[in-house]
Amino acid sequence: MIEIKNLTKVFPARKGLLGHDAIKAVANVCFSIPEAGSVSFIGESGSGKTTIGRILAGLETPSSGDIWIQGVNVTKMPQAERRRFLRQVQLIQQDPYQALNPARTIEQALGDPLKVIARERGQDSAWIQTRMHDVLHRVGIEPGSVLNKYPHMLSGGQRQRIVIARALTVDPKVLVADEAVSMIDVSLRLGVLKLLKDLREQFGISLLFITHDVASARYVGQNGQLFVIYKGMVIESGPTDQIIDQPYHPYTQALLSAVPVLKGLENPGPDRFIPLRGDDQELIPDTVCLYQPRCPFAQTKCREERPALQGTEHAHACHFPVVRRVVATVRANEG
Amino acid sequence: MAAEFEARDFHARGVQIRNLRVSYQTPQGDIPAVNGVNLSIAPGKITGIIGESGSGKSTLAMALMNTVPRPGRIISGSVVVDGIGDMLTIDKESRRRAHGRHLGFVFQASQNSLNPLRRIGAQVLDLGRSHNVKDLRALIKRAKELLGKMGLNADRVLLSYQHELSGGMRQRVGIMFALVLDARVVILDEPTTALDMLSQASVLQIVRQIHQERHLTTVLISHDMGVVADLADNVVVMYGGELAEQGSTEEVLAHPLHPYTQGLIKAIPRISGPLDQAVALPGLPPDSAALMAHGCLFAGRCPKRLPVCGESRPTYESVGQGRYVACFRVAGHD
Ligand SMILES: Nc1ncnc2c1ncn2[C@@H]1O[C@H](COP(=O)(O)OP(=O)(O)OP(=O)(O)O)[C@@H](O)[C@H]1O
Ligand SMILES: Nc1ncnc2c1ncn2[C@@H]1O[C@H](COP(=O)(O)OP(=O)(O)OP(=O)(O)O)[C@@H](O)[C@H]1O
Ligand SMILES: [Mg+2]
Ligand SMILES: [Mg+2]
Repeated sequence: MIEIKNLTKVFPARKGLLGHDAIKAVANVCFSIPEAGSVSFIGESGSGKTTIGRILAGLETPSSGDIWIQGVNVTKMPQAERRRFLRQVQLIQQDPYQALNPARTIEQALGDPLKVIARERGQDSAWIQTRMHDVLHRVGIEPGSVLNKYPHMLSGGQRQRIVIARALTVDPKVLVADEAVSMIDVSLRLGVLKLLKDLREQFGISLLFITHDVASARYVGQNGQLFVIYKGMVIESGPTDQIIDQPYHPYTQALLSAVPVLKGLENPGPDRFIPLRGDDQELIPDTVCLYQPRCPFAQTKCREERPALQGTEHAHACHFPVVRRVVATVRANEG
Repeated sequence: MAAEFEARDFHARGVQIRNLRVSYQTPQGDIPAVNGVNLSIAPGKITGIIGESGSGKSTLAMALMNTVPRPGRIISGSVVVDGIGDMLTIDKESRRRAHGRHLGFVFQASQNSLNPLRRIGAQVLDLGRSHNVKDLRALIKRAKELLGKMGLNADRVLLSYQHELSGGMRQRVGIMFALVLDARVVILDEPTTALDMLSQASVLQIVRQIHQERHLTTVLISHDMGVVADLADNVVVMYGGELAEQGSTEEVLAHPLHPYTQGLIKAIPRISGPLDQAVALPGLPPDSAALMAHGCLFAGRCPKRLPVCGESRPTYESVGQGRYVACFRVAGHD
């Protein structure tokens, strides 16, 4: 069980041509992932998704807030201990091409972390071999077909499976999958998504799934929670399918409207609208709704007061929440 | 205003590709990246080209412009653009003039096609000079008009270097370059890959709008069926350097004929509907051995395989109403 409370990350001001102010990349984010549970984060580029994942994996320190993992407050630990403890959290990044060293075979790529663990646990090389075969089987790969190969000889989907297998060598409790399928061909995506779902169900691994493709969040397992994040703040959260079917926040509705409609198979949602993608860099004062400058439904109150996240099961931060059906529906003729 | 911009012709231009073959020469042998492609690109329509990574989409697009880089080589075929002629045989100078002026091209990962050391505005002027545009002020005006239409602050963008622009802004700048000389045929190679959903939706909306306003012929290349399905009028499915199927988007999606197309559509993660309807496509794209073999390129992955599929390759046949397919299972082959 993981609990994140009031997580905030401020990146200091950068001196440069455009003279950046300090960036609040993550602001007061709270969520929890039960054992074998999943939480997905969606939001546009720059909304803070990766920063949350990196903090959880111990690659970035939060400015404030607490991270509890199985009853232990990680943020209070000394750095070296924290680093060891956070090995339970493994990060899988977007690009399976960069994640693997092109000059090392798959056997070497998996052997390196296993040797470290074997030394710690006083195990021998037979144990390493067994374990290597075990993690490859878990990701659905026949060891004999890949061990002697180099990364460039594998498909994107296979490579991402190897990256996941490498993460599994340390028996993680949590996987953070940051855009883990977005660079893989669509034909292979579903297989990797199903693998993540199986790892949850079979091995009790918890999943933090970061994506800008909302549809893929549905496939890492039902009963998952979806968090919509905008400029570092959670603006809507709840069960994945409920948010897709009944989104309250205009920003969530914009993200869902942006999902392409499959002509011939789907009908566009009756309330779908063409979302605006501002390139707005300007700072928005704390006293107004963050989304109000881009919101097609903004009213006076939105320019006077910042809405708080309200509700429990399905929460939203909007003064004028209205459910809009923006998602495409399947045509009857499909089958 | 220069006459060259006023005299816009509004006749959309088609492109006829015949028996096109392109291969890359590598130490491991020749890779037939585009292998005997026959395709008519309808004037005034958006044609989507879809296929897995390595299926030859970018190579086909570059061959269309006759700009295949080494070690690639166009081995045979013709690419006739209405009003210009065969891109593969016209002289160098006419070809150079055709680029930009008649054919606009946005490269895959468009960031790489911009010069990192020159401001965007200066690059617009470079482009104009290289095409002997007399009225450079009018050209800048048109660039601003296009950028503005795409929701960008035109003055700021023209003064920027590429590294000062976000990925979504660069894609839009790439589209501006493709259109600023008033090209009539526009080829977009993965214009939204690596963009987030909102930037993608806005780029697609811009393409749709400009396509209509200017009566363009647009070729949209993507590995994402969603993007093609949302935008394109017609879709062409590529597999292993060959065409597997084509037709109107609605028809192909609702009634795919080729087992590969069927598998591809089933494998799309969907935003609504039952989860178990989506099934991953098993197997891998053809390797070089499969490309050289006699049988159907898809036979190794095909759930509907017949004995004949391992022996010879099905030809790409018309099955009526603008639909073509290369499959022994489909009528027209027996
Ligand atoms: N090391 C850093 N120094 C300064 N600013 C940073 C740093 N890392 C991230 N940021 C800023 O923090 C914000 C959130 O970035 P983050 O990478 O978490 O977004 P994201 O939601 O993952 O975006 P994407 O979808 O593009 O991956 C952005 O404004 C980004 O520019
Ligand atoms: N410069 C090159 N040298 C050797 N082979 C190449 C070269 N460029 C492409 N190829 C090969 O040609 C084939 C087609 O490549 P192409 O880039 O056209 O595919 P694509 O469909 O555009 O793929 P993607 O979706 O990854 O962009 C592939 O097998 C590729 O490996
Ligand atoms: Mg990120
Ligand atoms: Mg390509």
